[in-house]
Amino acid sequence: MTNLDPDKIKVILATDCGSTTTKAILIQYVDGEYRQTHRGEAPTTVEKPFADVTMGVVNSVTEIAELAGRRLVGDDGRIISPATDTEGCDIYISTSSAGGGLQMMVAGVIAEMTAASAKRAALGAGSIVMDVIAANDGRRPHDQIQRIRDLRPDMILISGGTDGGTADKVVQISELVAPAKPQPRFGSDYSMPIIYAGNKDARESVSEVFSEGGFDLQIVDNLRPVLERENLGPARDKIHDIFLEHVMAQAPGYDKLMGWTGAPIMPTPGAVGDILQTVARLQDINVVGVDIGGATTDVFSVFDETFNRTVSANLGMSYSISNVCAEATMPNVLRWVPFDMNERELRNHVKNKMIRPTTIPQTREALMFEQAVAREALRLAYKQHKEFATTLKGVQQQRTVGDTFSQQTSGKTIVDNMALDLLVASGGVLSHAPRMHQTAMMLIDAFEPEGVTMLAKDSIFMMPHLGVLSSVHPKAAEQVFDRDCLVYLGTCVCAAGQPKPGKTCFKYELTGDRTASGEIVGGQMELLPLAEGESGTITLSPSRGIDLGEGPGKKVQRSVRGGTVGLILDGRGRPLELPEERAACQSTVQGWLDALDVYAEDKEPMAV
Amino acid sequence: MKRVLVALLLLACLPVVAHGQTVTLAAPSNVTAQDVPDDVGNQVALKWDLSPEDRADADGGRSVTGYVIYRRVVQTGDGLESGAETPSGSGVMAFADDFDYEANQPVGTVPYSVASFLDENVEGGVSYMYAVAATGPGDTFSTLAVTAMPVVPTMEYINQGKIWFLIIMLLISVVIIYFVFYAKRGGQIKVRPIAGLEAVTEAVGRSTEMGKPVLFVPGILDINDIQTVAGITVLSNVARTAAQYDAELKVPTARSLVMTTARETVEAAYLGEGRPDAYNEDNIYYLTDEQFGYTAGVQGVMVREKPAACFYMGAFYAESLILAETANSIGAIQVAGTAMPSQLPFFVAACDYTLIGEEFFAASAYLSNDPEQLGSLKGQDVGKVIAALLLVLGCLFATLSGIFRDSSTLQNVNGYITNNVLGEDGLVPEWMLAAELDQTQEAEQSAQPAGDGGGN
Repeated sequence: MTNLDPDKIKVILATDCGSTTTKAILIQYVDGEYRQTHRGEAPTTVEKPFADVTMGVVNSVTEIAELAGRRLVGDDGRIISPATDTEGCDIYISTSSAGGGLQMMVAGVIAEMTAASAKRAALGAGSIVMDVIAANDGRRPHDQIQRIRDLRPDMILISGGTDGGTADKVVQISELVAPAKPQPRFGSDYSMPIIYAGNKDARESVSEVFSEGGFDLQIVDNLRPVLERENLGPARDKIHDIFLEHVMAQAPGYDKLMGWTGAPIMPTPGAVGDILQTVARLQDINVVGVDIGGATTDVFSVFDETFNRTVSANLGMSYSISNVCAEATMPNVLRWVPFDMNERELRNHVKNKMIRPTTIPQTREALMFEQAVAREALRLAYKQHKEFATTLKGVQQQRTVGDTFSQQTSGKTIVDNMALDLLVASGGVLSHAPRMHQTAMMLIDAFEPEGVTMLAKDSIFMMPHLGVLSSVHPKAAEQVFDRDCLVYLGTCVCAAGQPKPGKTCFKYELTGDRTASGEIVGGQMELLPLAEGESGTITLSPSRGIDLGEGPGKKVQRSVRGGTVGLILDGRGRPLELPEERAACQSTVQGWLDALDVYAEDKEPMAV
Repeated sequence: MKRVLVALLLLACLPVVAHGQTVTLAAPSNVTAQDVPDDVGNQVALKWDLSPEDRADADGGRSVTGYVIYRRVVQTGDGLESGAETPSGSGVMAFADDFDYEANQPVGTVPYSVASFLDENVEGGVSYMYAVAATGPGDTFSTLAVTAMPVVPTMEYINQGKIWFLIIMLLISVVIIYFVFYAKRGGQIKVRPIAGLEAVTEAVGRSTEMGKPVLFVPGILDINDIQTVAGITVLSNVARTAAQYDAELKVPTARSLVMTTARETVEAAYLGEGRPDAYNEDNIYYLTDEQFGYTAGVQGVMVREKPAACFYMGAFYAESLILAETANSIGAIQVAGTAMPSQLPFFVAACDYTLIGEEFFAASAYLSNDPEQLGSLKGQDVGKVIAALLLVLGCLFATLSGIFRDSSTLQNVNGYITNNVLGEDGLVPEWMLAAELDQTQEAEQSAQPAGDGGGN
């Protein structure tokens, strides 16, 4: 690893080694700012017959080199660094999710307390949490041991007890893991890494438990030293270290790749989380990001500088599409489709998509159905995220007599749609929708943002690269994120509350690059033109009971930014409710789609 | 001599009772006796017009100082009914002319100016005649004023005065039964989340993570108090959670019977969770019946063992704030539940969560999710809504009738809610009864002239 002066970094090469594709981007310092200039792609070569991840990296970088007219790969097959005027890069960075990414098992004493904190640490570090073992998870010890034995995680994180708290229970958890002797995914001669981040008084006992059996025990600070505070940093750092030293070292070609990079290789989701946290911190905003894939959907959120990530393992658009339809139920999926569909055909379509995950919709109807499924997958994933991203449980409350009739339990979600400033979408169904309007509509329908929220999508899934870059050069990462990574769809203004259909929901007045004024009635959506690069100030006067950010009925003034879609005014109310009756539902949804020009047939081709 | 003879003759002509009491006073009139409605048949109400001499003299003295009431059983076809006061009076339809005021025991006396009497010592189904005589100083009496007709007290199966109570009770019962069956059929009855009960797992979890015990205080009253019973219900839930989490549960009690009940409850909970080995009966123990001795004992446990979670569920008095403040100082999560209004503010201010009154009693249904309990809870809620509606309507009509005094409709409605629905005037409104009475009186007057009260 190199320690470069950020001011001297002018050419940055970044790759993301995915399961199927290795994506490379080139970032250069142009006209006083950092811009992403070129990108390349090549198949990932981590699996046999190649079994060397660097081959795919070199291929993707070579494509960039050809496009940029800049020599990036040397004769020895290595990436050229440092840069000169015509060749090489100042720093090369990479993320990886190849081979299934980082898979972990976590354990804690109480599922909602230390085990939940351990899960947050693991997810925040970019791993997939395979299971959570806790003293109160309802399973008998032999079931727990069998489960641990069946799993093949890359590492295990054990927490439990506050400092000075329970030691017995932590040792009991350790005594479940040790005899189970879980085998790592990679390498038969590889010692299973165990990170212990629990009660410091139990370290000695836990060390004794893992002293035999081929474990590599690493001890870090307690991630819940007191119940009132989480300390996830040390555990996350240790997860990254072990990911590099153990997991990556076992994957084909990664030892070579690690020698090339100027910063530690990060798990892809961890890097996405890092860039979102960096942007939220630098711009002082609340951000939600979503990455919907074929098998899983990742949701990231940063509210008041608190970062959370969830992985919804069974919500996706290809491998998991059947599960989405089962979990959301077909009537809920079909409510977003403004015409009658044959349920038998739909089921065939779903199963076909599941067994042929790379197919894309060929007709307008198939596209609308797939986007309806995406809405439900995103809605369910966001619901799970809200349930996970909560305040800490087990914390003492301070009360006054005024709280007599308004006592709230701890563990409430910190996700507040009204406080959300930026919603970022990525993943095939969102990024590659034929029209940006469709992406915007899917986001609004699934996430139900409230107040004034900016919508954007990750143009070429550049966030992982920028996540690693943010650890080396935060300024460059932010500039590229803002200028090249995100495609701004526009701003949506959504009324919270239940407006009466046909009655005034709110009045608006737009000034700035464009001017407009009018009113939105209950159940209505409207699209105002506000192109990319344009901005303005909108003054909103909500009706009684309608909240646009300052409380029910209170006037709001906000700056709005344009985008490829424009300024969306949503008077449907929150929570969003669709008519129960099928015909009424169809005509209502059709009205919304028409208002936003979502499926304008004559403007752009529908199939891609 | 002649004057003396005339005087003696006049004295001889005066009515004289058997034992020499003088009958000199004017009698009361229009004596009526009526069976008291809506009772079990043990009461007869008497009314009469006062004696003309029932007034104060110029010197402040009184000729009539009270009234005595006599009762006689009337013979029926099968013979005499029981309850005859004197052998001489048995079976006689009317009171004898030579009525012996002393030999006959009166059933009651009332002071002057009182024109009614309630005889509460009669037997249902027996015919009675009543007579009233005025009485004055020096054992002077009036002649007897006798009721015109015998009266037969009867038992009514429905108290008409409480018919609204019956209607509302039946309505609520039907609603409760409906919701019980609704819940049993799988209908969803939503019970709003009670923060204090939701927090049980959190509090026990905190104890587990911190390696400290859970302290449960079931109040200072005995098991016959409903609050203690409700507290034991919550204890069962706390014990189940403690068994799941393998947390240590301590229950100091102030009554021996509460200790026994708590032991059985906790043991059953541990058994139910498959952890009979974790149950330790010594953790549920008796301290003392003395209020502050018990308080001091619990405080000692708190200070020494520093529990991470404290539950106060039951009846509490002055010790509430002492306990809550002590536990607050050791950093414990506290959950309180009581129906003592005077202690609630202290618990709310010092504890993390507080179950208030009804919430405390609803805990059982909330925790068990049993359809019968849930249905009952929902039905009771409907009953409360009905009661609240009546209160609101009552206030509304009382206010309106106060403002619009000329509106007979408002006055009637207000009177009906006050006297009939909330009072004991029965189902039929007063104005309707008055109209019926007027019609009856008019009919009687037109049929025959009014008769006198009788006398002898």
